[in-house]
Amino acid sequence: MQNKKIFYSYVARLFLICALIALPGCKPKADANKQLITVWAHSGQEGERKVLINQVTRFNLEFPDTHVEITLLPEGSYNSQLQSAALSHDLPDVIEFDGPFLYGYVWQNQLQPLDDLLPAAVQADLLPSIIKQGTMHDHLFAVGMFDSGLGMYGNKALLEAAGIRIPATVNDAWTAKEFNQVLKKLAAKDQDGAVLDLKANYRGEWFTYAFSPIIQSAGGDLIDRRNYLHADSVLAGKEAVNAMKTLQNWFQQGSVDPNLDDAAFVEERVALSWVGHWEYPRYAKALGDKLVLLPLPDFGQGSKTGQGSWQWGINADARNPKAAAQFLASLLRPENILSMTEVNGAVPATKTAIARSPLYREGGPLRLFVDQLQQSSVERPRTPAYQVITSIFQQAFDEIRNGADVRKALHQAAAAIEQDIIDSEDYRSVPRS
Amino acid sequence: MNNQFRSDNRVGWLMAAPALTGLALFIGLPFLLALTLSFTNLKLASPLPLTFVGLQHYARILQDRVFLRALLNNLIFAVVVVPLQTGCALLLALLVNRKLPGMVVFRTLFFLPVIFPFALISVVWILIYAPGPNGVINSLFEVLTFGFWQPQDFLHNPYLALPAIMVVSVWQGAGFQMIVYLAGLQDISEELYEAARLDGANSWQQFRYVTFPCLRNTTLFVVSVTTILSFRLFDQVQIMTKGGPLNATATVVFEAVRAAFERQQIARGSAMTLVFFIIVLCLTIFQRRMVSEERRVG
Repeated sequence: MQNKKIFYSYVARLFLICALIALPGCKPKADANKQLITVWAHSGQEGERKVLINQVTRFNLEFPDTHVEITLLPEGSYNSQLQSAALSHDLPDVIEFDGPFLYGYVWQNQLQPLDDLLPAAVQADLLPSIIKQGTMHDHLFAVGMFDSGLGMYGNKALLEAAGIRIPATVNDAWTAKEFNQVLKKLAAKDQDGAVLDLKANYRGEWFTYAFSPIIQSAGGDLIDRRNYLHADSVLAGKEAVNAMKTLQNWFQQGSVDPNLDDAAFVEERVALSWVGHWEYPRYAKALGDKLVLLPLPDFGQGSKTGQGSWQWGINADARNPKAAAQFLASLLRPENILSMTEVNGAVPATKTAIARSPLYREGGPLRLFVDQLQQSSVERPRTPAYQVITSIFQQAFDEIRNGADVRKALHQAAAAIEQDIIDSEDYRSVPRS
Repeated sequence: MNNQFRSDNRVGWLMAAPALTGLALFIGLPFLLALTLSFTNLKLASPLPLTFVGLQHYARILQDRVFLRALLNNLIFAVVVVPLQTGCALLLALLVNRKLPGMVVFRTLFFLPVIFPFALISVVWILIYAPGPNGVINSLFEVLTFGFWQPQDFLHNPYLALPAIMVVSVWQGAGFQMIVYLAGLQDISEELYEAARLDGANSWQQFRYVTFPCLRNTTLFVVSVTTILSFRLFDQVQIMTKGGPLNATATVVFEAVRAAFERQQIARGSAMTLVFFIIVLCLTIFQRRMVSEERRVG
């Protein structure tokens, strides 16, 4: 019994090695009747990799006419590798990419619309957030197996000890004013007064993902979404400036734990942690029944939150778009989505899968994330300028966090964004050459 | 000198060919590309047609507050780090040059930071600079000042971030220059010291009139290498501060990388590297002049 297990695990490993290294000798002989679908995906955590490779193997068994060949690339330089391949027209048929890059790929004409390729039933089952994020110029270009959830985890014991109301739904969120009171009440009972974890130890995209919802909740935005050409009126308007001033104040009054060890919340140094779904397993293990999930504060226009994660699209030059779409549809089957979200903890992308997920179904501990994705999450601005917008916003955020004049920092950021849009000829559509 | 590289010396050219090809391919070509691209509107993977925009990027970056700040930061960094690192290296070299048992252990220890990758060093130093009273540096200062020290968040303080990075850089870099100095020291003939001692020179006078003059060429080498390296400051900034806080640690190379690879503005990034190149070129020419003058005098 044991020996057999070991034998199978060796066979599985051998198979994996062959599939990954893709040695010419190990490649399955190209069958004249078989359609080859090449797939590139990012090499995520070990669990995610296993699940994905497993799903490819089962797809190949189920559809003998098609052969899916998957290549996993390291996450760190994933986007640069895709861009280089795009320049030399070497992209595979099916591409996985991180949310912020979608609109750039569409602008570069690298992707083809999925509207007529993916079965209507599959599209109808997707969360509205997935559709919003994957759509550009009224066409659906990308779908994801999962979405992300952003909120605040609370330590119930500490909150109750300070006599604080615990909101249960999105509509119930603390107002910004109330949140400032919460911080004060918590600080009164805290050793060093730092009661809030904003994951200040994170890097890069986090700051746009996590804190642009504050601006949006106040009525501002990163860019004016009517035509994606102007930023100053929304990013440096009164609403955005006031919201960012409030945030700056949290830093300056010492409410924010620098969280260098990434353990502020699990060691109960802070009562609130502003972070995404990915921290749930660790937090639940550390706090048990004391863990509550809360919506982000409401800055005037209702609580808003972020969304978006890894997505799949089909190359504009794909040899067989129909077979490629068949592969995407198979990834979106409830059982496949669930085996993936079981290992990475993300929000399943279809309503059917959510209903079967112990964490996310009605009454589940992370249900709030689903509710948010259905009513209060804001998709990243759907423009190729997003990569520039987020880089510039991160720089402005750093300045604000460190005490710079908020109005000036946001005006400068807006001007830099508008300059890039002008330089890029308004990111006008360029026909495929 | 010149005779060796005359065009009729075919064998010489032939032997130099592999190196020259590499130089042309990996230094010359990218340089020419950067020069050309800096006059265009190129963005990474942009479908827009390429157009020439003249000196627009140069005009813009020379008015850009962050880029100017980066230039200033580089300058401050070089002015502080070059003498400091050279001085530390010389001091360490003098220390480990003594003929005492176990000196090899110290040489190895001082050289150790050089072989660590900068990514690793940066992460370790982030922990050393941890804010709050429990951080290594903070608690050290607290003990040294008998409790008067207020804990600082070094990497997020606009006045302390650049000095903090300077300390890491000197700590990491001094070991290498120490080895160079050590080689220079061991080249000095023992007879010179003997003669000096006979003339009644004390240890300071021996250092001032024998050691230091004999190390002139070594010092010039160390100073020029350190200067160029300090203008290339990037790794520590990328990992420890991302150019913040308030752009206090932004550097020219960091800004170029951010423009080209985070914002796809290849043309703007190219213009920044060209400015960087011109600065380093001027420094090198200046230093070469100094060296050749010294040689003529010597």
